[in-house]
Amino acid sequence: MVEPLQLQAAAWALTTTLELALFVQLVRRTLARIYPLFFTYIVAVIFQSIAVAVLYRNIHLDKVTVWKVAWATQGLAVLMRSLALVELNRSVLSRYVGIWALASRFFLSVAGAVIAYALALSKGEWQWLILNGIRGLELAMAAVIVTMLIFARYYRVPINQLQRALAVGLCLYSSFYVINYSLLERIVQQYAVLWNFLGIFAFIASLLVWISAVNWYAESEEVALPPAISQELHGKLSAEVNSRLYLLNRQLIQLLHLKDRSQ
Amino acid sequence: MSLPIILLVLFALLLVALLAWALRPPARPVKQALDVFEALSRPRHCSRISHVMQALQPEDTEYLRETEQVAVMRTLRQQRRRIALNYLDQLREEFEELLEISRMLAVMSPQVTGMQELERWKLSMTFAANCAFLRWKLRLRLQTFSGFVLLSNMAADIARQLEMATARIAEAAVRGSEPPTPGNEILGGL
Repeated sequence: MVEPLQLQAAAWALTTTLELALFVQLVRRTLARIYPLFFTYIVAVIFQSIAVAVLYRNIHLDKVTVWKVAWATQGLAVLMRSLALVELNRSVLSRYVGIWALASRFFLSVAGAVIAYALALSKGEWQWLILNGIRGLELAMAAVIVTMLIFARYYRVPINQLQRALAVGLCLYSSFYVINYSLLERIVQQYAVLWNFLGIFAFIASLLVWISAVNWYAESEEVALPPAISQELHGKLSAEVNSRLYLLNRQLIQLLHLKDRSQ
Repeated sequence: MSLPIILLVLFALLLVALLAWALRPPARPVKQALDVFEALSRPRHCSRISHVMQALQPEDTEYLRETEQVAVMRTLRQQRRRIALNYLDQLREEFEELLEISRMLAVMSPQVTGMQELERWKLSMTFAANCAFLRWKLRLRLQTFSGFVLLSNMAADIARQLEMATARIAEAAVRGSEPPTPGNEILGGL
């Protein structure tokens, strides 16, 4: 029978392989230039995998140091994921200036509220502050992604397959992290190895979603956006807009005269 | 496990459910930019409110009772009620179309006010509730005139808001000398 730790080691190896595959694909499809922060996040995750592997193999290091370094790399990965998320939101909504201005305020409010709630669970105990902070940040990321997708759906903002996949991967991983961590913390300490494995499994699922989207990514997706309208249509729209403007202006003048007469 | 932690887990699960919902393809096809102006220029159903209201007045068919044609009166009233229900459907469609246009205009506009969006959302909720209420009242043959006027006013209100938004976009378009913003690029540099 396969030992849980062996299974976990195999999952780690698979994760690192998939991370490297995604890294290569992002470079090969020149998507690293389009999503530089997401690319940096993948680099940070690869760095984290290597760092943690080296740490656990070094038996001379004391456990506290290993724990601190491991959490520092996790903090770096979470920070990079947050930046990748900001990049993703910008890439989807920022070309619609009005929507972006409104949505970014929404995102800040949602993220702030979620992080504040998660931090409040620490009840002033500093040792829980960092862990709850990371959990809050993960949940805030998931909440922001969902808010962005709802905004996009409501305003019919087009999202290409890659953006969709990035959002799904980031959101699923963050949500699973929160569920996993919250349950592990309180009731299933004895199944820590299993839960750790499930956490890795969630990340593997995200990596597979991303790799698949990067593989299927077509540059034409970026062009197929509604703003791209023909010259003829543009001319018609211009004429229509102008005539409506004149019409409204005339109505306004009539209303003003009406008001004058009534006074 | 404490209640705050349970809430946290439930919130995470809710987010996963919302993610699945948000990724579903939209029920209605996306309108092309030209359709916005075409739809705005179409005659409004709410302008026919006076005819529908007149048709629903009991006095309008009361003379048939006086001439002892009760069966004809009932048939006529039933037909008119059906027409009113049909009118209600048209009004709802028009309202949804106007909301769709307002969303498209928000996408094209360089400035979207949160309060206006929230107001529109509230309005659409109220409209949907009123529409359902009115439909039941019609089916149950209760008094409906005030409801019709209310819905009609709401549709007209939305139309007015949209005209203002269109004017703002057009105004921005006329100011051609200004450097183009990404929002203006949506209209192909209008």
